[in-house]
Amino acid sequence: MNQPDPIVFVVDDDASVRKSLSRLLRSGGYTAETFASATEFLASGRHQQSPACLVLDVRMPGLTGMELQERLRALKSTLAIIFITGHGDIPMSVEAMKGGAVDFLPKPFDDTQLLAAVAKAIAKSAHDRQTRGEIESIQERLATLTPREREVLELVVRGMLNKQVAADLGTVEKTIKVHRARVMEKMQVQSLAELVRLAERVGIGGARDQSSVISNP
Amino acid sequence: MSWVTIIWSMTASACLTLAAIYFLVWCRRRTAWADLLFTLISVGVAAFAFCELSMMQAATPAQFATALRWGHVPTWVIVVSLVGFVRLHMRTGRPWLGWSICALRTLALLLNFVTGQNLNFREVTHLRHVPFLGESVSLGVGVSNPYMLVGQLSLLLLVIFTVDAAITVWRRGDRRQALVTGGSIAFFALASIAQAVLVFWQILDWPLTASFFFLGIVLAMGYEMSRETLRAAQLSDDLRESHQRLDLAAQSARLGLWTWDIARDEIWATDNGRQLFGFGKSERINFARLMDSLHPADRESVSHAFAKSFNGNGDYESEHRVVVPGQPMRWIAARGTVEFNKAGKAVFMRGVSHDITERKRTEDALKESEARFRTVADNAPVLIWMAGTDKLCDFFNKGWLDFTGRTLEQELGNGWAEGVHPDDLAGCLKTYVAAFDARQPFTIEYRLRRHDGEYRWISDHGVPRHDSEGDFLGYIGSCVDLTERKQAEAEASRQRAELAHVSRVSVMGELSASMAHELNQPLTAILSNTQAAQRFLAADKLDRVEFDEILKDIVHDTTRARDVIRHLRALVKKSEREFVRVDVNEIIGQVIAFLHGDIVGRNVTVIQELAPELPLVLGDRTQLQQVLLNLLLNAFDAVGANRVRDRLVTVVTAMASSEMVRVAVRDGGVGIPADKLEEIFQPFFTTKTEGLGMGLSVSRSIVEGHGGRLSAENNPGPGATFSFTLPAVVQN
Repeated sequence: MNQPDPIVFVVDDDASVRKSLSRLLRSGGYTAETFASATEFLASGRHQQSPACLVLDVRMPGLTGMELQERLRALKSTLAIIFITGHGDIPMSVEAMKGGAVDFLPKPFDDTQLLAAVAKAIAKSAHDRQTRGEIESIQERLATLTPREREVLELVVRGMLNKQVAADLGTVEKTIKVHRARVMEKMQVQSLAELVRLAERVGIGGARDQSSVISNP
Repeated sequence: MSWVTIIWSMTASACLTLAAIYFLVWCRRRTAWADLLFTLISVGVAAFAFCELSMMQAATPAQFATALRWGHVPTWVIVVSLVGFVRLHMRTGRPWLGWSICALRTLALLLNFVTGQNLNFREVTHLRHVPFLGESVSLGVGVSNPYMLVGQLSLLLLVIFTVDAAITVWRRGDRRQALVTGGSIAFFALASIAQAVLVFWQILDWPLTASFFFLGIVLAMGYEMSRETLRAAQLSDDLRESHQRLDLAAQSARLGLWTWDIARDEIWATDNGRQLFGFGKSERINFARLMDSLHPADRESVSHAFAKSFNGNGDYESEHRVVVPGQPMRWIAARGTVEFNKAGKAVFMRGVSHDITERKRTEDALKESEARFRTVADNAPVLIWMAGTDKLCDFFNKGWLDFTGRTLEQELGNGWAEGVHPDDLAGCLKTYVAAFDARQPFTIEYRLRRHDGEYRWISDHGVPRHDSEGDFLGYIGSCVDLTERKQAEAEASRQRAELAHVSRVSVMGELSASMAHELNQPLTAILSNTQAAQRFLAADKLDRVEFDEILKDIVHDTTRARDVIRHLRALVKKSEREFVRVDVNEIIGQVIAFLHGDIVGRNVTVIQELAPELPLVLGDRTQLQQVLLNLLLNAFDAVGANRVRDRLVTVVTAMASSEMVRVAVRDGGVGIPADKLEEIFQPFFTTKTEGLGMGLSVSRSIVEGHGGRLSAENNPGPGATFSFTLPAVVQN
């Protein structure tokens, strides 16, 4: 993939920690940028950088690590976050992971732990960036459907036959066939399986319905 | 008219005029017997002058003898009256001599009538005519009567009697009276004797002129009597003046003067006196009316006082109340003396009364104040004593007597010293005497024997007493039993040590999280730095400068970690917390009591502004005590540099909201730099040379562990306020 060099941001209020982590990341082949507080990081605007990774201290004066994670999510950042903490506990790490953190490292940690997490985070960031591009393209295509076509799409990806769809929508099978052809055309897919996969990517259709799809290829 | 007739008539009339005047005086004043005697003498002299004139003008010897015989009657009157006059007017003279003179003269008068023609002649045989004052007067010639000596002897005794009386008067100091009255009577009496002897023994060819000499006596006496009259007038003037002065004095002293004629039961009183008892100006007063005006409760005692004065030495004294309708009740003090007649019966009484209401009121107020003092002193939970200016104790309260189990009589004076422990007595007395002489307050600690025989440590604090004029009255002192306080102090100190221990234990528990954080920071840096170096080495990318810097950083962080460990070592392992319902105000009280020694030692004033009826909070008593302990000790440090009167620390409790209780500790110290307001809560932040710098950090952990917040802010005035909140227990 043609990507810019990965950057690792370090946000920690402890100068010693910042300096040593920056050094360690450099030894691992990364470019590191350090910030003394969450506010400073936000103000720099560097969070829009991607793919990139953020090594973030949980406990800081002012804005805490968890609060920064919240802000970044609101800003739709694709920055992958690794939390580091001096006194982490289980509930806090669960909270962080639920918020999309790549890892939660209790201080002190080994270089391998950190570098592995960073590598994983950068990959995730890159992946996220790519995924986001695909989803955006699917959603663009979805937006071209008429409401009726959308209804037909939702029922078809659940694995219903044309006849069943027609009964559900109170029309005839022939009309459904026309709608279905237009949907396939607008979504730029050749097969039903392809359409189902696209729908899954943007969250249309449930687990039960998926199993019915598998049982009915 | 011949000269003889003129002179003798004038002599007689002069005497009669004096007699008339003094007779009138005597009539007005019957008790003035000297005036009557002077009248009799004057009449006697006039009569004798008439007899002498008859003798000189007698035509026959029989006429002469008759005139002479009757002349002895006035002579008797004169002599007897003179004796009486000397006794009454000069208030002296020997009685036996006086009686002898009267007896002899009376005998002479009898002999005058029973022997011969008269006392002087047995028989007048013929008359001789001799020239006298330019004319011829008759002079009797005949046989002399030897009994004439009796009359002359009586006159001689009269001279002796008078001279003797005059000497007495002279010695008494009244020299003028001795000379004028005594001297003239003696001189003229002697002269008349001499002339009579010469005439009747027919040695001198002269008529008898004794009335001249008697006239001399009368004039001298008259002169003396007139001086007496003048003096009486003067006395009367003086008396009036003194009466007016007395009246004025009585008026201004508001004295009521009164007299009581007991026999007639009449009471006279001055206007003041009438006012005191509420009598009308012209109202008739008697004993029953007087009794009516008294307070019913005092009537018996007043009657008793009167009866006592009648039966005793006549002194009357009483204090009683007077009730006048429409006026406030008055207290009256009365004094009087009784006059008795010869039979010893009380006949008259004089007295004075005055209003003592004000004095009684003052006395009552004093009694009341005294009673109040006793009540307070006897009910005070301390031992109280008082001493006079002589250092001797004159009062001990019930507390003292109950403590020592001795009677007031045993303790009075220096009796109390018997209860002092022999080892302490000398020092105790030395301090007492030295402080007493310097009029300085003192505090002595000594052992005093309690009623059960046990010696207890007593702290005795004495201060000098002064009256409203500032005059020294003595000392008053109060004592407390130190034994219990000393035991309590020991107990408090033990509890404090225990609490300190427990708090250290709990500090560690609260701290474990932040301690770990503090330790993990440098460890992280060390590890990362080391591993970075290893990686650079492995990749052969490590230059010398970088390596040097890495090592420097590692050393720095290792030092940092060592310091954390060092502080950690000072603390011990965690103990279990126990959450119960606690009263924050009560805990504040306990902590302040607990810090008593510090408060006193540092001269800090702690003001408690505690909200009444504060809800309970759920918390660990020991931990909350520790928080307050930290905040108070910090506050004490903050005000430590102030002047003593500005070393104020205020503890406030209040409701912060409907479910939070707020506790604030406000000091008047230097405050906190604005940029340090948050930093102070960091572990190991300290401004003190000794101290972990954990207090506020731990306190914050504790408060947060209770679900509250601890924060600091600077006051608008000097100093800072640390306040924390705690959730209140919801009342169901």
